[in-house]
Amino acid sequence: MMLLTNAVFFLVFLSNFKRELVHDIRFTALALLMQFGLLGIFTTNTILGFYLFWELTLLPIFLILYWFGNFEKPRAILQFFLYTLLGSLAMLLAVIGLMHATNQQTYEGLLSADLNALGNTSTLLMGGFLLAFAVKIPLFPFHTWQAETYTKAPVAGTMLLSAIMLKMALFGLLKWVLPIFNGIATDFWRWPVIVLGLIGIIYGAIIAIRQNNLKTLFAYASLSHLGLIAAALMLQNGETNQIAVVQIVNHSIVSIGLFLAAGIIEHRIGTAELTGLGGIAKVAPRFAFWFGVLTFVSLSVPFTAGFIGEFFLIKDLFAAHNLTGILASATLILGAVYMLKAYQAPMFGPTKVTSFEDLHWSEITVFAILSIAAIYLGLSPQCLTDFVAHSLSQPTL
Amino acid sequence: MDSIVILFISGLLGLFVGMRRQPLSALVISSLGLTGAALAAYFRGQYTSPLAAYTAYIPTQSAVVILLCIVTLLAIWGGYQRYRQENEHTGDYLSLVLFSLCGAIMMAQPNDLMLFFIGLEILSIPIYVLVGIEKGSALSAEAAVKYFFTGSFASAILLFGIALLYGATGSFQLVEIQSNLAIGIWQSPMAMIGSLFLLAGFAFKIGAVPFHFWGPDVYQGASNAVLMYMSTVVKITGIYAIVNVFGQIFRDSYFYWIDLISLLIVLSMFYGYITAWKQTSFKRLIAYSSIANAGLMLFALADIHNSNIFLFVAAYAFATIPLVTINEFADQNSDDLSNWEGIAWKNPLVGAALVLALFSLAGIPPLAGFFGKFSLLWSAVPHIPYTAVLALIASVIGAFVYLRLLMLALKKPEVQVKKALSAEQTIVLLLTTISSITALYLI
Repeated sequence: MMLLTNAVFFLVFLSNFKRELVHDIRFTALALLMQFGLLGIFTTNTILGFYLFWELTLLPIFLILYWFGNFEKPRAILQFFLYTLLGSLAMLLAVIGLMHATNQQTYEGLLSADLNALGNTSTLLMGGFLLAFAVKIPLFPFHTWQAETYTKAPVAGTMLLSAIMLKMALFGLLKWVLPIFNGIATDFWRWPVIVLGLIGIIYGAIIAIRQNNLKTLFAYASLSHLGLIAAALMLQNGETNQIAVVQIVNHSIVSIGLFLAAGIIEHRIGTAELTGLGGIAKVAPRFAFWFGVLTFVSLSVPFTAGFIGEFFLIKDLFAAHNLTGILASATLILGAVYMLKAYQAPMFGPTKVTSFEDLHWSEITVFAILSIAAIYLGLSPQCLTDFVAHSLSQPTL
Repeated sequence: MDSIVILFISGLLGLFVGMRRQPLSALVISSLGLTGAALAAYFRGQYTSPLAAYTAYIPTQSAVVILLCIVTLLAIWGGYQRYRQENEHTGDYLSLVLFSLCGAIMMAQPNDLMLFFIGLEILSIPIYVLVGIEKGSALSAEAAVKYFFTGSFASAILLFGIALLYGATGSFQLVEIQSNLAIGIWQSPMAMIGSLFLLAGFAFKIGAVPFHFWGPDVYQGASNAVLMYMSTVVKITGIYAIVNVFGQIFRDSYFYWIDLISLLIVLSMFYGYITAWKQTSFKRLIAYSSIANAGLMLFALADIHNSNIFLFVAAYAFATIPLVTINEFADQNSDDLSNWEGIAWKNPLVGAALVLALFSLAGIPPLAGFFGKFSLLWSAVPHIPYTAVLALIASVIGAFVYLRLLMLALKKPEVQVKKALSAEQTIVLLLTTISSITALYLI
């Protein structure tokens, strides 16, 4: 069921990208190949298949970044690729080790295998998986590829990366690793991951406040938001997981919207530096409106999906430990600071931009779909939680 | 046996046709010979001659023979363009390749060390000549001399190893050597030194560290056509031979050798990939990449009861051959990497083949290279887990190397110049690309 949700969402998003962007056959082909890989990840029921599709998505994203990004030097893109590859190879070892240790390779088989009997080995194996996920999510010390890649990548590439590729790590964590390694291994890794997530929340937010480039700012904001989700997932609480799914979907919505907005600004004005922007709202009221709506969603204003997600995740982190809760709530305050800054500086302030072509109808459609989805989820999150509750509680895919 | 006979006859015929300066007919004859040899291996693979007791018995599996024949076929087609233009040596070149392949088939899966050594020499001697076949080039002559001296030195060491093993166990037959060693002789100094020399000789043949020094110079001096043959067939044969010999002889004492082999693996992979990183010459890059891949192949020794190397060597060959073919396409007379800049834009097939070959070498699924690596690691991880971890770190460096080449080739040029592939190059690129992708069906 969860897979279906994911698939439908991704199809919608992908169709949006194509309308917006480069009329280039290569881009379309690569995006479709990537979609194939992602659908594979969400539907496969063998651990090896999971690994295969996981790696398969690397190829199209690499080519998209290389062909359509404006990297002056290939260093950043290589850095991204190698981080991911290192993580993936650790996961490959863990997959091989897991298959050897349990003689199982299907999802059900692995769930029924008793990994606690392996003791420390299972901790090590889970470490391999976590390394791969930590690079993708990204968690705090593994995030250095993120900012530069997001900034230099084409907008569509950034959207694909932040809205979908990062989610496959969270999906892997939620659906595969945590249920399978339930026991010694998760107990061992729980607090390290939560602590890294918290560091990511605060560190990402503080850096985001200081950023001058809109895309870099959103990249660090993304680091901050995902830290929260990853930390909450490690609590392994059924209800938390449902809310985490809401927040995952919400983050996809928000990041697509924000990066699209940043892309529009960059495309029309030629820069995404905050110091060079100002007063867009006067010349482009429609753009200002929709960007504003998404900013509020990102700020977790009540009645948006962001509120449901963040509020309950922080509540659950409080339940785990007071300190984690307090630190996690920093995301709300700091988030308000950087998001308002990101909205205010280009939209209002001294007029520096005098001509700005307002939104095209297709862009409005995308913004409208995203905003309506976010608000609908905010008003009735049950529609999503009920939808995924079944597949989260059932041990089958 | 049939395969060898067919190859030998077509090689002889090729010589005569070559004398009349008819490169195309020489190519057709050799291709027919290779196809015939592959078919013979397929249909008469289980056949044992009634005279088997009196003659040499060559137990090489038909799958290996077929793989070797196909790889050679692709190699001669990929390198044919040059010989069509300068037809002085086409016949010699093709026949030498075929003769050398006879040796490869003899030595790939031996059951007798004497026969193995004869196969090794039949394989090597034509290659010494092939490396030096570019008579006008000083680099080629240097490479041939270097290869000949180091190669004969390695052969001598190998022979010495065989002699010592014979002294310790009293037999050339692998089965007898194994049963004699199993009763405790493997601990005797003579047997140990013998096996060490054997390992050194093998490591030289496949070009693993620390016996790799000949590799880059020889590869650089050889022409693209010879390079394609050398970097694939010789390596495949060498690794099959080492797996077979070590797998049989040291079945009971391999735990004793596994540490040494782990060291070879780790050294080869790190040395190969790190050195390949800063190369400016394509052939040297391929040479270092093949050193690293030799290290990976040695993983097959980790679990000699269950070694599955076929997929890996096939994937390696099907990725290396298109790359060298593309190098031939880029510029016949130079192997500088600057020729590769923007090459993917000159021809769409070249672009596709290049991307897939490099990703396959880097081991990204769903290409053949990944499955090869996976099947090797799959059996090796329980035995030498730490070596596997180090090897994976080295393969990240390797991915760096291949990606650097890929980015160079994909760089969009200012002015797009189209360039056509020749017919046989098209076939080679198509076949290798398709076979890299169809590995997906192995899931």
